[in-house]
Amino acid sequence: MTHPPTPGRDPGVDEILRARDPAGPMSRKVPGPVAWFDLRSRSTGHLAFSLNRITGLGLVFYLYLHLAVLSLLLGGEGSWNDFLGIATTPLFLGLDVLLVFGLLVHGLNGARLALVGSGFVSSHQKALFWSLMAFGSILLVYTALHVFGSES
Amino acid sequence: MMATRRLRVYRFKRGDDSPHTDEHDVPAEDGTTVLEALRWIQLRRDPSLGLRHSCIHASCGTCGVRVNGRERLACVTPLSDVSGTISVEPIANLPVLHDVVVDMTPFFERFPEPHPIVRESEAHLEAERPDGLDLYLRYEDCIECGLCLSACPIAATDATYLGPAALAFAQRMLEEPRGVDRGAILDWADQDNAAWRCHAAFECTEACPSDVRPAQRIMALRRDLRGRRKEQGRAVPDLPTNEAPA
Amino acid sequence: MTRASAPHVLIVGGGGTGGALAHDLALRGLKVTLVERGEFTSGTTGRHHGLLHSGARYAVNDEDSALECIEENTLLRRIAPGSFEENDGLFVGVTDEDMEYLPPFLAGCEATGIPTQVLQPDDALRLEPLLNPELKVAVRVPDATMDAMRMPLRFFGTAKANGADLLNWVDVIDLERSSGTVAGARVRDLVTGRETRIGADLVVNATGPWSEQVAHMAGVDVPIRPSPGVMLAVRGRLCNMVINRLHASGDGDIVVPQRGLSVVGTSSWVVKDPDDLGVPADHVQRMVDEGSKLVPALREAPYRSAWSAARPLIGSKDDADSGRELSRTFKTIDHAVDDGVEGFVTITGGKGTTLRGMAEVCADVVCAKLGIEEPCRTRETVLLPHTAAYAA
Repeated sequence: MTHPPTPGRDPGVDEILRARDPAGPMSRKVPGPVAWFDLRSRSTGHLAFSLNRITGLGLVFYLYLHLAVLSLLLGGEGSWNDFLGIATTPLFLGLDVLLVFGLLVHGLNGARLALVGSGFVSSHQKALFWSLMAFGSILLVYTALHVFGSES
Repeated sequence: MMATRRLRVYRFKRGDDSPHTDEHDVPAEDGTTVLEALRWIQLRRDPSLGLRHSCIHASCGTCGVRVNGRERLACVTPLSDVSGTISVEPIANLPVLHDVVVDMTPFFERFPEPHPIVRESEAHLEAERPDGLDLYLRYEDCIECGLCLSACPIAATDATYLGPAALAFAQRMLEEPRGVDRGAILDWADQDNAAWRCHAAFECTEACPSDVRPAQRIMALRRDLRGRRKEQGRAVPDLPTNEAPA
Repeated sequence: MTRASAPHVLIVGGGGTGGALAHDLALRGLKVTLVERGEFTSGTTGRHHGLLHSGARYAVNDEDSALECIEENTLLRRIAPGSFEENDGLFVGVTDEDMEYLPPFLAGCEATGIPTQVLQPDDALRLEPLLNPELKVAVRVPDATMDAMRMPLRFFGTAKANGADLLNWVDVIDLERSSGTVAGARVRDLVTGRETRIGADLVVNATGPWSEQVAHMAGVDVPIRPSPGVMLAVRGRLCNMVINRLHASGDGDIVVPQRGLSVVGTSSWVVKDPDDLGVPADHVQRMVDEGSKLVPALREAPYRSAWSAARPLIGSKDDADSGRELSRTFKTIDHAVDDGVEGFVTITGGKGTTLRGMAEVCADVVCAKLGIEEPCRTRETVLLPHTAAYAA
């Protein structure tokens, strides 16, 4: 809204209009990208959205990590064997399970988004999310058991 | 002794360095609404409090606020629905005019023209229509309250996103054109900052007090857009444009 | 006369009347400023159930109001197309007493030019399946439904596009007088908290139930009594047509559809302070009880909201106790004539439906006082959409 002083307009009116000219501040408590993860007063859809964003970022980070690890092969058998030593520690195995969690959430939710975003089942998006996450949890438990169960 | 509830109200006047909050203990009966509490403060404690309201029955959409962080219409939100200290803030993603009042101009700027607000009534379809009237009319559900835009996480980071209300309105135009060119509406919706910018958080549908279900309508819009692209044999989206069709 | 050199009219009050007056005067080329202490239509206008009156409610007892209503009803559909649910209305007779009201009702409508069509119960139920199945008769009239805020907002938007300055959240603290003439107002802009002064060649008091408070600032009296009534909104669009009770005015005798809600109104009492109305629980119950005689489904429909709105009723101070006896017509008061105070006019009374007509009469008085010879153009000017009120 721009209100330059108009000839003939009462100065009191001018004063009031010009005070409203610059756009006011936004009232959002948290800055933009942080709002993606602010789940206070939010529902299932927003939870799914936040999870997709964080797992997406996590998976991209993992990709770089993975490439960095693979580049150890350039250093020969010795450096790769050193890596394998770390790769079988419980902490590392735990991170593997975390990776699978990220893949499952992102993948299953991604499938949900593909369905919903195409205009199918959009009214049942909450039920779809929870049932996919339930299915994913079963897969995750199965995977975790196998990751920690077989040490090879 | 009348029960009281504590309200913590966002205050900001043009010229202030930054916003602050005021607390008031407000008498509360069964059914006292947030709007009634705010008007009590305005009448009995602080006449400088800026409030926005008109119909007091969820039809005008002017009293939208965030109550304890959640988008609500103040006129139909009982204090008993909210626990603890009741924080009242302006809705998000629109500039604050003063106190809990936002500037709705950027909200309305997102809508394509023309903007018909009367539609065919879907109520009592089995009833006869009176002689001389082909159909019963009714207002569109959308009351232009802006709660959907406030709840949207994409609108939080992208001020150019046209938003759930405008997109839902466009989808209603496809359902019931009322003389508006469907192709023009589809063109408008087929922009990067329009139907494709939504990330399916569904918070708009969650916040809507008037059963518009904007998220579902955006998904339906996408279905129509994809259908059109298939017809036209296009796989690649056009370059983005911010111009609405004439 | 350019707008810059034209006389400046300051309208106090941003309800439907103020908005329609700003529109009329802007079309006549005057400089117009409107100040409203809240959001536009937040006083009384935005709260009503949304009835576009056919006037049939007044056909028997208040012929002036009936004539005003049917004329404005027809005009508004022309100048504000797309702002009405044009579904007509029914006056439904449920008791034997109601049936006694039928002949004078039909005669009154005929005398005031309100078209009617008498329907037998079966026919009425085919049109509106949720009507009381015990109804005895229904009379179809050209009622319609409007959005109580958005329809008046079209006047604001058009006035703004034509150069009027419409200032919401500006409160009038006092009126300035210099030697018996009102010369402007002392105001507080609530957006900044700062006081300032607005000068004007003429000030119009269009504050509805607050008319008396503002008139006192000019040192004059107006015979306005705020008369609130309660309304109730329930979930469910129970009817498409407006449903009225076929009897002399009483509580809870109208059901108006509003989107997915149904609104039942209203009641009537008189108060001193238009800011402090209350929502008496027994009145709300009466809405349910009386309304369900017309549409039984009201009784079980989920509650949405209950609120009060104050009508500005004109009458002398000692008349009437309930407020219903006072006329619903409107009045322009030139305080130079009535009270010897120049530069101040009050427009008050009336109904949501007659906003344009009230503004025309007032604008004629205002222009005559200011020596402006411009005809009214509001009968022919199609209004901009309500979104124009929010345009930058």
